Amino acid sequence: MVDERRGSLSGLTEGEAKEFHGIFVTSFIIFTVIAIVAHILVWQWRPWL
Amino acid sequence: MWRVWLLFDPRRALIALFTFLFVLALLIHFILLSTDKFNWLGGHAPPSAASQHMSTLPEPAKP
Repeated sequence: MVDERRGSLSGLTEGEAKEFHGIFVTSFIIFTVIAIVAHILVWQWRPWL
Repeated sequence: MWRVWLLFDPRRALIALFTFLFVLALLIHFILLSTDKFNWLGGHAPPSAASQHMSTLPEPAKP
C-alpha cells in the first residue's frame, strides 16, 4: 500500500485513480449532454451558420 | 485513461478545469452579449439575408 502510493506522482493508488476516473467520466458525460441540449436550443432560437 | 490520475493530482486538475471552463463560459457569454444578433437581453437582430430565409421563428419584439 505504501509502496503503491510512493509509486505514483499524484499519491493516488490504482484503485483510487479508477474510482475517481469513473466519477470524472460520468460527470463529463452529463456536462456534455447539457451542453448539447443548450446548443440545440440556441440553434433553434437563432442559427449561427 | 484512468492512469492519468496517477500522474495528475485530481484536486489540482479539477480546480484548473473548473477555472478554465468558468473563464471560457464567461468570455463566450460576454462576447455573445456584445453582439446584436445573439444578445438575449433586449438585443434586436438586424434584418440580414441569412436570418430571413433560414429562421422560421418570428422576429423578437422590437422595443
